[in-house]
Amino acid sequence: MKKYKVLLLVVIFVFSLLTACQPETIIKEVEVPGETIIEEVEVPGETIIEEVEVEVPSKTLVFSSRLFSPPREQEFFISEVIKPFEEEHGVTVDFSIIDDDTLLERAEVQQTTDHVTTDIVVAHNGRMPEWIENGWVEDLTDVVAGWDDRTFSETFSQDTNKDGKQYFLPVGADVYLLLANNKALPYLPEGVDIDAITWEEYAAWAVAIAEGEGEGKVCITGIPSKSWVYMFGGTGLSYGAGFPDINSAGAAEAWKIWETIGKADGFVPTVLNIDSCVDPMMREESWLTVFHNARAGQVFASNETQYTLAPAPSGPEGIGSIAGVSGYAVMKGSANYDLAIAFLEYLTRPDIQVKIAKGTGGFIPPVEEAIAFLGDEAIDEVINKAVLVLNNGVVSGVPAGNYQDWGAVKKCFDDIFEDTVLAGVDVTQERLDEGQACVDALLNE
Amino acid sequence: MVKKPVKFGKLIRRTIFYLFVTSLAVVILLPVYFLVSLSFLSTREAYAFPLPIAPALKIKYSMTHGERGYLLSVYDSFDGEYQTVLDTNELEKISEYMRYQLGAPMSIPEIEEQISVLESGTDPVEFSSRKNLWLNYSTFFKITRNALPALLRSLQIAAMTIIISIIIGGMAGYAFARYTFAGRDALKFSILFVRMFPGVAIALPMVIILANIGFYDRPIGLSLVYSIGSIALTIWITASIFLGIPVTLEEAAVVFGATKFQAFLRVTLPLALPGLAAAAMYTFLGAWNETVSAIILTQFNPTFSVVVYQSLLGSVGQVNLAAAGGLVMAFPSVVFTFFIRRYINQMWGGMTI
Amino acid sequence: MAVATRAKSSRKFWTKVTPYLLILPVVVYYAVFWLRPVFSTIVGSFRDASGAFTFENYLMVFTDPDFIPALRNTAILVVFSVTLEFLLALFLALLINRKFTGSAVFLFLAMIPMALPSVAVGAMWLTGLTSHGWINSLLYYLGVEQKIYWLAGSEWSLLALIIVIDAWTVIPSVMIILLAGLQNIPKEVEEAGYVFGGDYLTVLRKIIIPILNPTIQTAVILRLISAIQIWLVIVLLVGFSRLPVLVERIVYYHEEMSGLNISFQMASGYTIIVTAIVSIAALFYLRLSGAFGKSKEVR
Repeated sequence: MKKYKVLLLVVIFVFSLLTACQPETIIKEVEVPGETIIEEVEVPGETIIEEVEVEVPSKTLVFSSRLFSPPREQEFFISEVIKPFEEEHGVTVDFSIIDDDTLLERAEVQQTTDHVTTDIVVAHNGRMPEWIENGWVEDLTDVVAGWDDRTFSETFSQDTNKDGKQYFLPVGADVYLLLANNKALPYLPEGVDIDAITWEEYAAWAVAIAEGEGEGKVCITGIPSKSWVYMFGGTGLSYGAGFPDINSAGAAEAWKIWETIGKADGFVPTVLNIDSCVDPMMREESWLTVFHNARAGQVFASNETQYTLAPAPSGPEGIGSIAGVSGYAVMKGSANYDLAIAFLEYLTRPDIQVKIAKGTGGFIPPVEEAIAFLGDEAIDEVINKAVLVLNNGVVSGVPAGNYQDWGAVKKCFDDIFEDTVLAGVDVTQERLDEGQACVDALLNE
Repeated sequence: MVKKPVKFGKLIRRTIFYLFVTSLAVVILLPVYFLVSLSFLSTREAYAFPLPIAPALKIKYSMTHGERGYLLSVYDSFDGEYQTVLDTNELEKISEYMRYQLGAPMSIPEIEEQISVLESGTDPVEFSSRKNLWLNYSTFFKITRNALPALLRSLQIAAMTIIISIIIGGMAGYAFARYTFAGRDALKFSILFVRMFPGVAIALPMVIILANIGFYDRPIGLSLVYSIGSIALTIWITASIFLGIPVTLEEAAVVFGATKFQAFLRVTLPLALPGLAAAAMYTFLGAWNETVSAIILTQFNPTFSVVVYQSLLGSVGQVNLAAAGGLVMAFPSVVFTFFIRRYINQMWGGMTI
Repeated sequence: MAVATRAKSSRKFWTKVTPYLLILPVVVYYAVFWLRPVFSTIVGSFRDASGAFTFENYLMVFTDPDFIPALRNTAILVVFSVTLEFLLALFLALLINRKFTGSAVFLFLAMIPMALPSVAVGAMWLTGLTSHGWINSLLYYLGVEQKIYWLAGSEWSLLALIIVIDAWTVIPSVMIILLAGLQNIPKEVEEAGYVFGGDYLTVLRKIIIPILNPTIQTAVILRLISAIQIWLVIVLLVGFSRLPVLVERIVYYHEEMSGLNISFQMASGYTIIVTAIVSIAALFYLRLSGAFGKSKEVR
């Protein structure tokens, strides 16, 4: 009996081995109203790859994105945004989430082997320089000029454009907002308007919470190379510092704010293990944080009656915030250029941008005409406050392209946080100078 | 008269033994229990403290008028009170919230019904709704396109890797166990090198080799890569197993007229089955769970681990969904474990000479 | 007579050639698929950014402030993990080998931890060890209101935690190798030991373990090689750089901090150094346990 089972197992294995060794046929079935055309690409077990190209009016668009990664957002994007386009044009859009590093790796493989299969990519602005410098994305300047009903926000042109040419179409902008659990509200200092809070008031608030609760409740991402550099950067910008400054006058004042919180043990005890403030805020481990609006929106949506959202705190120079954005681009050498452009036209329409923004956690639609389409639900409030920060605040992008490795720059900031702020000691000018040297050493030659 | 105490003592010992074994099993599986439980929790439950020991089966609501429209509250059995969750005018939003955050979908007509009860005077109106425990799993499958083809592909790759490793590895293992030849020890040791060299460094060069042969983005290519490590492992395991099978048995079979190969097939191989099963287990798990290489080595034909990884890439704030996805991926491995374990622990006794 | 001699020398020929034939597939396989990338990585480790031959990469690794901590942490993890895991795995294997009623079920349950993919293991322990996680929740239900910050301790407490978690995941895989080896020890041999007056421990020590030796060596050497290369569970729990270990440094310079001018050099240097360390440790263990120089056959 046992022998027969083993034999059966072997038969199954061998069978699967045989089926695997057959020429792999990638069949793409595409439905055109009226007819079904099958495109067959046969790959025999040799080095020669033969492609049989059939002239078909409808195609498959391959769309690889680093944005909309949360499962809910994926679901939303597929069924509410992609589906209508597919139905209208009679095409299929193959949508997949891929992180920035893998996107670049794949692009390198595709471009060097001259076998481009991806049509549209969505990359984060920090990596856009790499895409543009390597020449892997198409120049869309003329295309954009042909669209007269939308104006892309100028804030991001330093990343999406180069030498006067536009390569990326911005989508999903985010700025920093203040998120507080309502349990923290009793500790808000007298007379402070949360929608116009200053950094000093924020620090006082954090200290009050720590003293009242016996435990710190402010969340920052303590795991190295995550978001601390941006959280600090916002404070720095509020005091007139540049980004990423460490030892300038404005930055030093910004460090003092955080030093105050650190000395009062205002951070959550587990701060060094946090890589994103979403989970700690949702678990109510932390009650107060300043982080980017889409994730703030996600926490807010989990219970709108339990949280309060406000613009990021301000300093003498205004509300400082780091602004990030992602961008759509067409892969150079894509076989479906026209279809890709049509899809991008659809995606960047102001009303569609707002639809996307609302369905995916509250990103800012970086198209000026989109504001008109906002309503008055809580999510619209998130977007409104974020837009406020974007338009009126002291905003900076991420100059990642200037440095050898942006993660290493982040680490310079993380080290200062760990050595001084978290340790509850004074942030000395010497330490800041060291940190600045650390950052400067990473500049590209 | 002496019998009774002896039997009683034996009973006590047996009970203690089984108690011990059971508590051991419980301790081992406690983390897994929580993972499984987590995959059935709603988002709200998954982030509550203290974490519920088991998912709730239904949700109790209370609705009244709020600032923006209708104020919805949920009953928290641990605190024993209602907590507010949503204040809105849009019914679709209420329905969506119930679905995504609470795992207890209610259709818009049902909500409208409760609203009419509220409007007609019962303020606040209390009602309850059954939870859909499988919501995380259905969401996971909804966003994981290509799940089935990827699953089959992964099974195929695992099967091929096992076959390659056992055949090539088993042969070499037998050689190391039965024969002495020049350079035996050195060769056996150097085979271990493939496991000593950190794989992350050679992943990209591997892609180029495979692409040049034409095996990029094909199951056979992945099997070839995975087999590298598992062949070495199989060699060592089978060698030690073969060493444990007396060569006299094979010699006896030869005396009785069998060829060496027949002796191997009918005498040694069945006895080596536990070792082969253990090697197969390692190989399967390695091939099934490998994600890093698979991402680089595939594009249109991803393995199941890649597909799961991509779906869960952004599951921040939805740890219950990540748990469901992880368990879906673990399920075939657990099935394979169930199947192979009886070969590792032979239930039909040891061998008698 | 001539026929008999020819037959005999033919058999002798086959006896000599067979092992090489059996080994041939492995050698060819590795030569084609593994040797070249490895060779180019080794060569690359002796090159600096401009391609010139240099020992600079190794110097950089040895003077890296994280090198000694990585070495030390890895050493501690390896020594304690391998010992703990081996002893517990042996215990479990012996237990299951008694083939009591339900041992099949127990074996299945004991094997489950090894079947879980790392995404599941990561989710499981992260949600447990966070201050509002299930471990603290469980304690809360049991009456302990004080939350324990599992991951916020010193390096030593983290190491201890990693050892426990790693053991939980890895023990089944060591156990199945040992169990497989135990299957071939005939009951008669064991019983003979009892007949001659030995108790359980003596039988274990003097009869079972010696026979099990090749299996033990295999299990330990495989575990040793894997243990020195531990990194994923640490990064899942505390991220990079917090508790540096050898392979974590490689992944760090290869993936996390890959844009630096020195990244590639650090990654290459560490890769070769790690390989060297693992080889030396393995060699050391094998020499010590007497795996070499004896062609062991069980009578």
